[in-house]
Amino acid sequence: MPENNKTIEYDALIIGGGIAGGEAALNLANVGYKVLIVEKDLSIGGKMILLSKVFPTLDCSACITTPKVSEIMRHPNITVFTSTQASNIIKKDDGTFEATITKQPRYVIAEDCTGCQLCEQACPVSVDDQFQYNLVGRKAAYIPFSIASPRIAAIDIANCTLCGACERACPTKCIDFTQTVETYSLKAKTVIIATGFQLFDPTLIPRYGYGKFKNVITAMQMERQLAPTRPFNTILRPSDGKMPDNIAYILCTGSRDKTVGNPICSQVCCMYSTKQAQLLMGALPMADITLYYLNIRAFGKGFNEFYAQAQAMGVQFTKGKVAKITEKENGNLLLRYEDINGGGVVKETEHDMVVLSVGILPNQGIAELFSNDELVLDPYNYIGQSDFLASPAQTSIKGVFVAGVASGPMDIPDSILSAGSASSDAANYIRHLNKKTVSV
Amino acid sequence: MKHKIGVYICHCGGNISDYVDVKRVAEEMAKIEGVEISVDTIFACADSSQKQIANDIKEKGIDGIVVASCSPKLHYPTFSSVAEHAGLNKYNYVHANIREQCSWAHSDNKPKATEKAIQIVKAAIARVKESEALETIEVDSQKIIAVIGAGVAGMRAADELADLGIKVYLIEREFFVGGRIAQLDYLCSTTETGKELVTRLYEKIMDNPNITLFTGAEVIEKKGSIGNFNLKVKITPRYIKNKCKKDELLKAIEVCPVEVLDEFNFGITKRKAIYKNFPSEYPQIPTIDSKNCTRCGECEKVCSSIDFSQKEEVLDLSVGSILVATGFDPYTPKENEFGWGIDNVVTLPQFRRIINMCDDKLVYNGKKIKHIAYIYCVGSRQVDGENKYCSRYCCTATLYTSILTKNKYKDVQSYHFTRGIRTYGKQEIVYDKSSRQGDIFLQSYEDEPPMIEQKKGKTIVKINDILTNKMELEVEADLVVLVTGIEPRKDTNISEVLKIPKGRDKFYNEIHMKLRPVETVIDGVTIAGACQGPKNIMESMNSALSAAAKSYSIVNKGKLNLPPIIAVVNKETCTWCNKCLDACPYDAISKISENGKDIAFVNESVCKGCGMCLPVCESDSLELLGYTNHEIENMIKALVD
Amino acid sequence: MTVVNQNLPKILVFSTEKISDPAIDMAGLLKLHYPPKVYTIVVPCSSAIKPKWILKAFEDGFDGVFIAADGTDCPYGESCVEKTSALVQNTQDKMKTKGIEPAKLRMAAICSVCSEAFVKQMKTFTEYLVNQQ
Repeated sequence: MPENNKTIEYDALIIGGGIAGGEAALNLANVGYKVLIVEKDLSIGGKMILLSKVFPTLDCSACITTPKVSEIMRHPNITVFTSTQASNIIKKDDGTFEATITKQPRYVIAEDCTGCQLCEQACPVSVDDQFQYNLVGRKAAYIPFSIASPRIAAIDIANCTLCGACERACPTKCIDFTQTVETYSLKAKTVIIATGFQLFDPTLIPRYGYGKFKNVITAMQMERQLAPTRPFNTILRPSDGKMPDNIAYILCTGSRDKTVGNPICSQVCCMYSTKQAQLLMGALPMADITLYYLNIRAFGKGFNEFYAQAQAMGVQFTKGKVAKITEKENGNLLLRYEDINGGGVVKETEHDMVVLSVGILPNQGIAELFSNDELVLDPYNYIGQSDFLASPAQTSIKGVFVAGVASGPMDIPDSILSAGSASSDAANYIRHLNKKTVSV
Repeated sequence: MKHKIGVYICHCGGNISDYVDVKRVAEEMAKIEGVEISVDTIFACADSSQKQIANDIKEKGIDGIVVASCSPKLHYPTFSSVAEHAGLNKYNYVHANIREQCSWAHSDNKPKATEKAIQIVKAAIARVKESEALETIEVDSQKIIAVIGAGVAGMRAADELADLGIKVYLIEREFFVGGRIAQLDYLCSTTETGKELVTRLYEKIMDNPNITLFTGAEVIEKKGSIGNFNLKVKITPRYIKNKCKKDELLKAIEVCPVEVLDEFNFGITKRKAIYKNFPSEYPQIPTIDSKNCTRCGECEKVCSSIDFSQKEEVLDLSVGSILVATGFDPYTPKENEFGWGIDNVVTLPQFRRIINMCDDKLVYNGKKIKHIAYIYCVGSRQVDGENKYCSRYCCTATLYTSILTKNKYKDVQSYHFTRGIRTYGKQEIVYDKSSRQGDIFLQSYEDEPPMIEQKKGKTIVKINDILTNKMELEVEADLVVLVTGIEPRKDTNISEVLKIPKGRDKFYNEIHMKLRPVETVIDGVTIAGACQGPKNIMESMNSALSAAAKSYSIVNKGKLNLPPIIAVVNKETCTWCNKCLDACPYDAISKISENGKDIAFVNESVCKGCGMCLPVCESDSLELLGYTNHEIENMIKALVD
Repeated sequence: MTVVNQNLPKILVFSTEKISDPAIDMAGLLKLHYPPKVYTIVVPCSSAIKPKWILKAFEDGFDGVFIAADGTDCPYGESCVEKTSALVQNTQDKMKTKGIEPAKLRMAAICSVCSEAFVKQMKTFTEYLVNQQ
């Protein structure tokens, strides 16, 4: 068992093991730098590993993330800590950093777990599965999801009844309830923030009925239904398990909306909704799909062509703001909206399922991780970019860089380029630091 | 001959298994002689599957593997490294493409897709049986990188590479650096102007001894390949001495009698044949535009720095990698397109120069401008034309221009004839701001663009407006601004020389948008900035830095491991007929004498493995490793079996 | 439909790693369908195909061979165009002496995004070969 409060040393600390953090880590590791990734979740791969297919090429998301993730796990220059957070990051006078690394116990001995899932079968506790966005349940002893990395069990101690069934079932005796929080003192030369995003909580818009009307789901829940590692083998509406045949998407849910405190555009929802619509046309050939939108933001390479392709496939795009949703007795939903393309009249249409294209928001509490220097945020609480024209990854603290959505909404290709830029700047920072120490 | 082959058939989570009966494919393969293991897997590329393959190699003594999944362009490197890590030579792994070329291509015919998949995997097994273990070839690589284009992306990439200790040749076709951004003044969401950004970058690159900047320079030939490219660069003279006298040069510009339309100001002003674009431009030496200069000699009379004896030069440069950042051109409207040709119809770039040049009154062609109509998506999202793509930057640029105009000239009223505003991300704030300053937004139907016409000397814009209940509206505009999109930089020959494939949108194509976004199919050539697709400055910088990191990783070790796919000579049968020597585009073949007989010899560090020598050999004495007669003929047989 | 499918001619396509094979991949990506008895062997460059391989394909039972050539986009140089034409010419001469209709070997340049052109070629070639049967 590792000693508590060990001192560890790396060239780079990367906060967040999603696609941006992972890409930055690989870039640095490939030119010889030692990298520590701290990931607060049980698996690396971030949100991308949970997606179905990605626009505009319709590549399957798992096919792109899983090899990257396995390269990260295998790389001799990269160490990954899951269930771990960094805090109290201090910039020293010599330009290097110190931080406290806190690793939560998994209650499973990682080296011994084979991922056989016998503990999962034995566990009597059933709770909502956060990785399937609560569409189905999971156990308190569980493997996060089938392509998780590391693909080993964890005990959800908050819900565990300590019945011991998992311990008895485990063939390698790797369940260990004596594990405690481990802390480390880290020394690093540079820090990359790749903390990604959270999704907008649609219960903040009560008129859409999310949480109240069963057949109103979020796009991430639909994403899971479409993913290869999906919970059901088809698309089902929650109220009665019927296959839907008339699905509505409400775009800009929680984006471009000052009333919920998020005035900016989330940059990805138009395209992910258009993508889901195309996938649904394949999965449910008879279904009608309508997207209620304000403006379609198909701006990236191949995006406008992808939008045109969806229109050609028969996806209905209706320019209009949905004012209210009401639920009928059979679970169907009535949408009241202003039909802008159709002359501005207020209309009501019926759908059997509604998908809310929820926007993205920055993760909170990042600035608080830094103790002696101020990490400046932008007006929308994303990490501020101090020289966004020439060095987009540079933050207000020299030596701290930002990659991916932590600096503002962006899609996967842009996140990967931004990670490339952050790793480039970080490598340069380390080099200049090393030069300085040599000359002293 | 391999005897213990492992075959792994991927479901690709439904991408393959929805159309191809993968279980059946695996069962069929298990029947083939020499196949030890044949299994299907949900994701062959997932960590657990990779581990299984590695374990099979280590524990079951598998001597050849076939992975049947997506196109090898995606995961060939993934499985190669799985094989290598497990101790199997990576050339004993063969990939079968049953997704792009089978399940997806034949998603309309599931039984036939399954049959085809069976044949494809059989052929891969036939090939792996014959496969030989090959070792990579190590060659020296030049630790020098050529960056083509000294716009902001190229300059930033050059600066980054030089900082990493790499020697950089920064090659600019124009006589001045900064590309399109030098033409911009105020930039959105910052207090820095385009010119200031260019100056900042220029000063950094001039400070760095690792960078050599060539202006008036064009790459006219590329030979060699990754690690060792040989470029011929043509340098057009400036006709001005390097150490020049500034005052005299100013006089020279004054006395020059030639006046031509100034491209820097998008043709709205004129310049001389000896010129600089703007006072602080870099390099700070003017140039003589030899196409328009009449050689009247007036400038020479007042300036001792003029030197007409300078000659065009061709330089030979050797580099290990090439980073292409050739940027974009604004779209030029066709005659009559949205009123183009009418004297108060200008493009957005022109209008931005106009605002910058006007002082307290906004005047164009002697007329005061009060009502401005912006027509969006000119040259982008074309319904009939070729440009189907969105140019990405223009909505925000236009709204920002409208805000700038309003700040400078309070009485201006802007009308935006849009096709749906695309101020993505934080740029939404610009849209909000322009709405709040009283700009009016109208939106046309996709197939019914706004019309611009002249009536009794007035310019009228007509639209069937979506936003006001399909009303047909008319706006009388003092100035119509065509919001022109982006096209790849028109070039004389750089794309011919480099042969980087272009996409349907005519921009350079990356290998894979998410896996290898700055690499091209030409090994060693990377792309950055708007030559890959429309981008704003920040996005260009991210791509420039990513491309710099990629090019750096190619040259930094000074050594490269190249694939051993080269031609080999059968010394027994070769009769030296000379044909291969003529066919080889790389001079890799020479004649040697062995045992009193003339035969062909292949220089393995020069051979690129194109195989052009194979079909011309009269005695069939040449084979390409990895594509031997045995391998190809066995595949052909397996495909029809 | 099934009857037609039964008799579908078998076509061997020689594609090239960097130029025409990406176009064939893209046809799949765009779900542009073409006859399912089209099989591909990838080579580095279309001027690397030995005539004996093509003859072997006919001998083994292929009905047609299609060379998806690099054309002027060839990363190994423009001489690819004439070299590929020369080997096609050479092979067609050999086919004649063996009594194989030379038109059963076709060649067209397929650029890296020419997926529609590829699909069209496969459809017309299949039609031609069906009429020959």
